[in-house]
Amino acid sequence: MKIKRKTSRAEVPSMAMGDIAFNLLIFFVILARAQDDSHLQWTPAKAANIESAGNSRVSIVVDKDNKLYLNGGEIGVGQLAAAIQEELGNAPAGERVVLLKVHQEILAQRFEPVIEAISEAGGDLVHIVEDENKK
Amino acid sequence: MRLRRNSNLLVEPPSSATGDIAFNLIVFFLVCASIQPDSGRKQTLPKADQVEQEEQQTENIQVEIARQAVFLNGDLIAMKDFQPRLKAKLDVKPRPEDKVVVVKSRKDTPYSQWIAVTSRIEDAGGIVTLQLEEEQTVAVP
Repeated sequence: MKIKRKTSRAEVPSMAMGDIAFNLLIFFVILARAQDDSHLQWTPAKAANIESAGNSRVSIVVDKDNKLYLNGGEIGVGQLAAAIQEELGNAPAGERVVLLKVHQEILAQRFEPVIEAISEAGGDLVHIVEDENKK
Repeated sequence: MRLRRNSNLLVEPPSSATGDIAFNLIVFFLVCASIQPDSGRKQTLPKADQVEQEEQQTENIQVEIARQAVFLNGDLIAMKDFQPRLKAKLDVKPRPEDKVVVVKSRKDTPYSQWIAVTSRIEDAGGIVTLQLEEEQTVAVP
């Protein structure tokens, strides 16, 4: 007598796919937020004739607590020029945009060395400010 | 014959799609957040150079920025008059290298005042150059 083998089909459960995708997304969002500076607190100064800053590899923030950050990480002004140069690498002119976000009450003795470091590193400086006509 | 009405209608929304809806909502808000561009003012500064005090020429227009005042070639000037007066001085200089405006800030100048003055200099056609004082330690015998 020939015994018939019982075949069982194993399938990957597709019910959990949505949850897996959701968790992956949360993971990458948290990873991305660690590198940006949206969590830093600063109030932009106002100026006229502003334009879109475009994309940039480097973003520098001097927050309301007078602390200096490069791409979201705290840094000293002494290491700033070298760090910007490292970030910009051999990028051609036009792709060396450095965004500078300074809290409006920060004093010249703090922000001028930062501007000097950007200039020394060969960055194209863009001051992030608010349109003075905007209410 | 009397037909009996079925009054036991309990319609539940399908809950199997909730995960997908949440996923799409997150993607939507992420895209909205990431495409919001920064806006600002470009500023072209000459590459930082150390220049001896003796070598500096006073041919260029000099602007000194204080906390609540601005000086044009040493003269105190109201903010509303600053741009027209500077423009008048720059317009008589045809060469681009003569349009350099040397900006010196006092230590207590806030960024809001600094950006207001430097943006007016650029709008008047000037090229901003920063004059920074270097701290030096002098040993007294």
